[in-house]
Amino acid sequence: MEGEKKSKKGTLILTIFLAIIFLLPFYIVLTNSFKTQKGIFLNVTGLPFGQFFTLENYVNAFKELDFVRSFFNSLLITVVSTVLIVIFSSMAAWMLVRTKSKLSSFLYFLFAAAMLIPFQSVMLPLINLMGRIGFLNRGGLIFMYIGFGASLSIMLYHGFIKSIPVELEEAATIDGCNKFQIFWYIIFPMLKPITVTVSILNAMWIWNDFLLPQLVINRPESHTIPLKMFYFFGQHSKQWHLALAGLVIGMIPIIIFYILAQKHIIKGVTKGSIK
Amino acid sequence: MSKVVLKGVEKVYPNGFKAVHGIDLEIKDGEFMVLVGPSGCAKSTTLRMVAGLEEISGGTISIDDKVVNDIPPKDRGIAMVFQNYALYPHMTVYENMGFSLKMKKKSKNIIDEKVREAAKILDIEDLLDRKPKELSGGQRQRVAVGRAIVRDPKVFLFDEPLSNLDAKLRVHMRVQLSQLHQRLKSTMIYVTHDQVEAMTMGDRICVMNLGKIMQVDTPLNVYQYPANKFVAGFIGSPPMNFMEGEVIETNNNIQIKIKEVKLKLPLDKAKNLKDHIGKKVWFGIRPEDITIGNSDGENTMKGKVKVIEFMGNEAFVYSQIGNEELISKVDFLGAKDLKNGSECFFSINMDKCHIFDYDSEKNISLGLKIKGEFNV
Repeated sequence: MEGEKKSKKGTLILTIFLAIIFLLPFYIVLTNSFKTQKGIFLNVTGLPFGQFFTLENYVNAFKELDFVRSFFNSLLITVVSTVLIVIFSSMAAWMLVRTKSKLSSFLYFLFAAAMLIPFQSVMLPLINLMGRIGFLNRGGLIFMYIGFGASLSIMLYHGFIKSIPVELEEAATIDGCNKFQIFWYIIFPMLKPITVTVSILNAMWIWNDFLLPQLVINRPESHTIPLKMFYFFGQHSKQWHLALAGLVIGMIPIIIFYILAQKHIIKGVTKGSIK
Repeated sequence: MSKVVLKGVEKVYPNGFKAVHGIDLEIKDGEFMVLVGPSGCAKSTTLRMVAGLEEISGGTISIDDKVVNDIPPKDRGIAMVFQNYALYPHMTVYENMGFSLKMKKKSKNIIDEKVREAAKILDIEDLLDRKPKELSGGQRQRVAVGRAIVRDPKVFLFDEPLSNLDAKLRVHMRVQLSQLHQRLKSTMIYVTHDQVEAMTMGDRICVMNLGKIMQVDTPLNVYQYPANKFVAGFIGSPPMNFMEGEVIETNNNIQIKIKEVKLKLPLDKAKNLKDHIGKKVWFGIRPEDITIGNSDGENTMKGKVKVIEFMGNEAFVYSQIGNEELISKVDFLGAKDLKNGSECFFSINMDKCHIFDYDSEKNISLGLKIKGEFNV
């Protein structure tokens, strides 16, 4: 009993400690986004009260970021990439699970192996190749995101689909479904929890990504929020007050998406389909 | 007319394993046919071939005199109830039941009418808005049956539909399915490994083993006149007792010699065994055709009681006769005075015994009594 209490207390302390570590950057970003440049340099950890409090940062960051356009670019790239990753990965994983052949095992391991390749090692040849065939900017970026996002997504879907009984598909076949109808009417709705997970992982990564858009997008009007953020950091001056306000504006959509999506991660969605 | 005919149906898997060895079976219009056999006997594979879920490697399957080998499952006019129900978890009971009609692009009115009609038959009208996870095992099973009824199929296929239910519910559902058959009068093919289900539900039963049909006949005939040693041992609980013996002739009487004991065969059986005199055979007797007593006599064997299992109104007595084990089924009063280890005399009702050929294991004591089709 005594030992159990101690262990619970220890876990609680560790949880609080980790929560502080993870929340501290958010605190720094949020509080300093309401301070003037001078206020930030005078007291970085303090709350934004008094003479250094300002809302101007947000107005200026909104203008500097050309927020409406960059938000649209980020949103378009993130939504289209995530939707396509979800569609292609779930379909591919379903076929890889249901097709029992050496080729499907080989392809599965190929996808798994692709996760081990560091992005930096393929980055330059990829951009070079895509540049030569003239497939850069938004279209090229989405295409590349599908490629980079597919491996992990297929792995996640693969594991989940294995737990779906094949009898459901057989029942659907008897009910008159063809392969595509089986997928859309039966399998895909059952993948909801893992689809939410895959969407969250990919959307967050794509929304926040800086390096790949930096290499691929060469038209200023196609710049995403992270790329625009870069303008706050010049060679001689760093506009921390605007950058932090911009960060807050930039992270709001993805946080809203996360909060909305995580509610749909329902455990055991197949419960009741079979004994 | 929804007769199902299997002619020389074979199933060979890509690795060369032959699961079904050219079976012939005719299921009549409106008949409740039960495919029964141990695990791995290919009864489910056979059913799945009828459904179109498994490709046929050889032979033909016809439904309504139309060969369906190359017809997709949805166009075969069948409906299937799976062992694990296979209900779509994200759909309500109503949507589950109406899904096949939705796929056929039937109007909402027709779907509604059919679903409510099936729900009424199965008494699940109040469950229509629920999801499968909110239902009990028995309710899920009824929904699965309802989904099949809605399709209005020519043939119902059941793949061990009751094996996931508890014993009490299984008995209840067994009765419900039998009533459903009487009501719908449709052709039904029912796969089970449970011989009680086979015996109680089937108009005829088809006993299978190792991808072959062992016997097809009415439940009573299969029990009383088993075509071979496998059927005799599989149907009946506790199973039939088998002992090695030899057919001998003494003073114009044909007898079975088991160790030192000679058992006299009745005339009708004896005449069927004339060609087997001097040959080794398997002697089979059902537990209920043995009586236990204290005195020696004709057709009696001496043995020692090992274990007595009381089942309430009756008891199973496990005894040792030489090296052989013998199970007898006696009523409660008959077993009350028996004690473990006591020596008794086991009197065999020779009118009910069966003699099987030692090598082919065919029942050689019945002559022409086996009416059903069978091949071994």
